[in-house]
Amino acid sequence: MSMRPIQLNVIDLPKADYTGGPSSLCPGCGHDQISNVIIQAAWENGIAPETIAKMSGIGCSSKTPAYFLGKSHGFNTVHGRMPSVTTGANMVNKDLAFLGVSGDGDTASIGIGQFIHAIRRNLNMVYIIENNGVYGLTKGQYSATVEKGSKKKKGATNENPPIDLCKMAINLGCGFVARSFSGSKKQLTALLRAALSHKGMAVIDVISPCVTFANNDESYRSYNYVKGNEEELHTVDYIPHFTPIEEVEVPEGQFEDISLFDGSTLRLETLGEDHDPGNPVAALAAIHEAEENEKHVTGLLYYDSEMKTADEALGLTDTPLVDLSEDELRPSKAALKELNQSFRA
Amino acid sequence: MANTVNDFTVNIATANGTGSQSANLILLHSMFEMGVPVSGKNLFPSNISGLPTWFIIRASDEGYQAPGDITHIQVVMNKDTWLADVEKAEPGTIIIHNMDVKLPVERDDCIVLGMPMTKMARSINPKLARMIANMYYVGALAETLGIEESAIASAVAQQFKGKERAIELNLQAISEGRDFARENWNCDIGYSVTARNKDPNTFLIEGNEAAALGCIFGGINMLSWYPITPSSSLAESIISWLPKLREAEDGGATCAVIQAEDELAAAGMVVGAGWAGGRGMTCTSGPGISLMSEFIGLAYFAEVPGVIWDVNRVGPSTGLPTRTQQGDLTLLYEASHGDTQHIVLIPGTVDECFEFGWRSFDVAEQFQTLVFGFSDLDLGMNRWVTAGFEYPNQKLDRGKVIRTQEQLDAIENFGRYRDVDGDGIPYRTLPGSGLEPILYRGTGHDEDGVYSEDPEVYAATVARLKRKIEGSRDKLPAPVMREENDKQVGIIYYGSVENTITEIDDILESTTGMKVSTCRVRALPYHSEVERFIAEHDQVVVLEINRDGQLFGILRKELPVEHLSKLHSVAFSDGIPPRARVYAEMILETLSGDTKEVIA
Repeated sequence: MSMRPIQLNVIDLPKADYTGGPSSLCPGCGHDQISNVIIQAAWENGIAPETIAKMSGIGCSSKTPAYFLGKSHGFNTVHGRMPSVTTGANMVNKDLAFLGVSGDGDTASIGIGQFIHAIRRNLNMVYIIENNGVYGLTKGQYSATVEKGSKKKKGATNENPPIDLCKMAINLGCGFVARSFSGSKKQLTALLRAALSHKGMAVIDVISPCVTFANNDESYRSYNYVKGNEEELHTVDYIPHFTPIEEVEVPEGQFEDISLFDGSTLRLETLGEDHDPGNPVAALAAIHEAEENEKHVTGLLYYDSEMKTADEALGLTDTPLVDLSEDELRPSKAALKELNQSFRA
Repeated sequence: MANTVNDFTVNIATANGTGSQSANLILLHSMFEMGVPVSGKNLFPSNISGLPTWFIIRASDEGYQAPGDITHIQVVMNKDTWLADVEKAEPGTIIIHNMDVKLPVERDDCIVLGMPMTKMARSINPKLARMIANMYYVGALAETLGIEESAIASAVAQQFKGKERAIELNLQAISEGRDFARENWNCDIGYSVTARNKDPNTFLIEGNEAAALGCIFGGINMLSWYPITPSSSLAESIISWLPKLREAEDGGATCAVIQAEDELAAAGMVVGAGWAGGRGMTCTSGPGISLMSEFIGLAYFAEVPGVIWDVNRVGPSTGLPTRTQQGDLTLLYEASHGDTQHIVLIPGTVDECFEFGWRSFDVAEQFQTLVFGFSDLDLGMNRWVTAGFEYPNQKLDRGKVIRTQEQLDAIENFGRYRDVDGDGIPYRTLPGSGLEPILYRGTGHDEDGVYSEDPEVYAATVARLKRKIEGSRDKLPAPVMREENDKQVGIIYYGSVENTITEIDDILESTTGMKVSTCRVRALPYHSEVERFIAEHDQVVVLEINRDGQLFGILRKELPVEHLSKLHSVAFSDGIPPRARVYAEMILETLSGDTKEVIA
């Protein structure tokens, strides 16, 4: 019997070093596909697992950090508050790669304030929303991202307009805004790999069908609906910094290369109409148009690499604060003496 | 006229935002400069400009710091409260008023002294007349009370640090106020100050600034905050001192400061910083604690260190946002849903604000839990004497953190929540270390941190947590006690009641001959010495600034039942810092056997 050699990534680790525990979500859940993409992307990018911090809130999506990257520390925090915990952790250890996983309830309702402010500060993290339009863990109530006219398996049609998290992120000036579908493994993997190579807040809103409560054809977030109504802005290819770009085959049609912070490239190949990811108005127009036509637009909607991250804006010392010594953390005896004296003067 | 030296209370009624705070602090500091034992209380409104504010200055050779029971000198400047201020003056009060307000002072039974303060101020600077008018009452009081000119000059210089023009202008106004008083009034008002030997080491400082400096000397890594009176000045003090005290060699900051979007986020950032291995802290007041409660429970259950300072204001709800109370004690001790118990450090002096500022981080990391600093508006925002802060007497205590593979290997059967040492405190590894990574969670978890709904696992986890916090009792600051030989009556109190206790004690002794022991609790869970104190006294009164007797409630729940019949609650709060006579009378009433008040 022949043994296939174990495939190793650029830092000589097998994919097994990036997996997690068994999932307890419903069989067929879109979230499990996203977990697999996370494993794949982190492994392919060759990120050392111990340098990643997995962050989540509460809900089906927020349970998933138990199912990937078992060699990374993580924090399954409280409902809607993952961004603030990530902020605190990022401030004291800016060298960690923060990977946040949240859901539509966790982000668009209870946590919308923290989502907004994390973007406003340009917190250096990847923020994945596993967006199915329903609250799964509490048995299928609508969330705030569900489209007007969409209907889940049981109950009335939703009549409220949706909160579009990508629109919101673009309006807030987020430097990396993408939308994808849990069923589009290739696209999602490339986008996530690019997000991991980006410095600053990267929001990926992933349509991820809830197989139990909203996978009926009248649901705009069912597999069948999304498969039939997805409009890709472009095809995406990720070229890691450790692969010389000259060696990558040049596509036949039009394409645009986006250079990412770590030297990697995201190659956008034009499909039909050209989309300029540097233009926020074009990005918003694409979303609006898709919304009017009851479609889901996917791809890299908006990109801007110029902004300072939250930790950079504070002018922190080079060493992560968690690694500072006692001498650097506690002023000297002489400093206190001088301080007391200054008050007496 | 008989002359009372260094024993009087001045009440100054002004409108908020008119610059009176500078005038009041100059008075306070000038007397302090002369060595007169003095305290100041600012009763200010929740408002930027226009609403009434009162500043109470008490001089007392006895060292009494509570607002006095009687106002001896009333300064009236504010037309909105004018009539009420004048009316409530006791017969014989000296009333100093601004004649330009054009309101009557019809009190034949008082000594009424008027000065055209606004007009005089206008003659030296028309634009700033409204603010400078306040300096005329400073001059008037300086002249009538005999405050030395050098002391005034030094206080003015301190108030307007380096602003030469302001110093000159204000000194001129004060001098003109003095001249007017000397030329037009009979300045023998019966009260005066006499210089005492001032300890050259002493200075006045607000509790919030003292706590802020303590945090900086405690190695704070991350300050997250959301503005709320009366805690904002604690955060702002940290921000202003960090560049001077905590810059790294490369010029970078060693503490991140984030103004959060709300108190929930501020608490979340503290939890995140603690989880990542840093020293995170936020400061707030009661409404903020209510909002932070979910995160407080997470920190307790997931065992994440962090520090939250609560500078208490009057609740419930928005309450009286600029007044003082000890109404949050129970809230802090048991914050969040489910069974919880939190460590609370309770400073009673500015020295302790500094000390507990740094110590709180050590305690939090030692016990891997959230630690509260519990101050209040009176301690936090008024100025108190210190002889200088003392340098921490121990190195930073980072607790049981595993930083190397060797340390990890030394522990047999490591688990994030396994009680290896039998003290309920497990070992932790940090994100980024690559050592035994786990997914922290607020859900049920076993000794390895893995999700569990197992009944035995849950019961064992919360039992260990209780044991862990229980184990902190005698490692936290011990009570400060003064015990009489004859152990008849003991008074238990905490926090800013410290400023009133001596006077209460003296009133009790002078009116009834009763000699009481005192015990100031400085932490929760309370030290075993507190129980001994209670055990050894016949009657014990628990004195606090709230309605319900919150520490009394905690003691009643945790003490052995045989002590309960001797425990009495004396609790009162009206927003004003505690006046000694009010409490002394309540104590006497309670002990006299008025069983309505006595819980047997």
